[in-house]
Amino acid sequence: MISSDVIRGYNDTIILYLLLEKESYGYEISKRIKELSNGKYVIKETTLYSAFNRLLKKGYIESFHNEQTFGKKRTYYRITESGLLYYHEKCREWELTKEVINQFIREDYL
Amino acid sequence: MDTIINYVDNMFASLPKSTEMRQLRDELLANMEEKYHELKLAGKTDNEAIGIVISEFGNIDEIIEEFGISQEDVVTQPLLTEQEVDEYLQVSKKSGQRIGIGAVLCIFGSAMFVLLLGLFENGYMNGLSMETGMYIGVILLLLCVATAVGLFIYSGMKLDKYKFISLKGNFDLPIDLKSKIKTMKDAYQPTFTTIMIVGVVLIILSPAVLLTMITFNEHLANFGVFIMLAIVSVAVYLFVYFGNMYAAYDKLLKDNSQQTKEKDEDRVIGAVASIIWPLAVIFFLISGFVYGQWYINWIVFPITGLLFAMFSGAYSILVRKAE
Repeated sequence: MISSDVIRGYNDTIILYLLLEKESYGYEISKRIKELSNGKYVIKETTLYSAFNRLLKKGYIESFHNEQTFGKKRTYYRITESGLLYYHEKCREWELTKEVINQFIREDYL
Repeated sequence: MDTIINYVDNMFASLPKSTEMRQLRDELLANMEEKYHELKLAGKTDNEAIGIVISEFGNIDEIIEEFGISQEDVVTQPLLTEQEVDEYLQVSKKSGQRIGIGAVLCIFGSAMFVLLLGLFENGYMNGLSMETGMYIGVILLLLCVATAVGLFIYSGMKLDKYKFISLKGNFDLPIDLKSKIKTMKDAYQPTFTTIMIVGVVLIILSPAVLLTMITFNEHLANFGVFIMLAIVSVAVYLFVYFGNMYAAYDKLLKDNSQQTKEKDEDRVIGAVASIIWPLAVIFFLISGFVYGQWYINWIVFPITGLLFAMFSGAYSILVRKAE
């Protein structure tokens, strides 16, 4: 299980990646994160919605209402053009981070 | 599921009651509900499912930070515990009794006064002069009023501890407690309505006793007044005691905006009460001692009572309309 402190800077990337797949809503996204990380990362509700709020304010995602099959109104999110650009940037940032940090990781300690 | 709703509501209790926060709460709750049902379907027990859902809620401080809620907006109102609510209701009940008894004593004092005069006038107190009777009556009345004032002050002090509930409204209720109080109030409503009707009927019918007695025997007028005032005092006690209880439920359930209005309302009505009642007593004593109008001046009490009831009723309605 990964600690939320370590992954903090990458929540936006994770959410944008999932919204790139398809537009989605809160619980579906947190479920996908759990699945794709094989249960190693479970995003907290408050963390998820803080991230939504941040991304909305920066215009990287937009929200809309959608009736679900069971008639419950949910807020859905979709990625915007600038969100896509931001995602690209975050991907490159991760490449760099990985490269840098890897310099300080001793293979024999893994 | 109730546990989860309570948990989320308690978490949001300190946040501003804005539409944004309301929507966020509903959204989070919808997610948690879905998660809860899926966990149950996956074979988890109720407790396990609740535990997992709550542990994955996170930290409300994240919301406060991210949504730019400043520290001033964070309402740190204490959540009332069930024990505090019970205590408040108990104290309200007791103080309702005390204030009610105080009001009864004020009326009863004047009633005793009228009764004594009647006894002397009709010569039942042989050997004692009319003047002596008057003095005894006044002493009795003053004793009653003094005891009443003592009771008023004592209940005021007892209620002082709960000023944050009754006046300021600086509190929040956990949602389960709120619905419990709401149920209690709803259960109380029919009793309250019946009692209020009984009180009004008593007051309207009380002069009938007097009129009947006068018809039979003119000398019985003073005893008629005594009985009439006794009936009025029963009605006043009912109004004060049950009204107080009802107000206590109301105050616990009020949301903040209404609370501020209610606060002013209480103050105005209280201020008027503390002027109008002593004025009535002064009027009663002066008209009696200076003008010798003892046979009719007791009427000031029922009239004051009715005017006061009309005033507080009309005032409450006007204040509510003005919202």
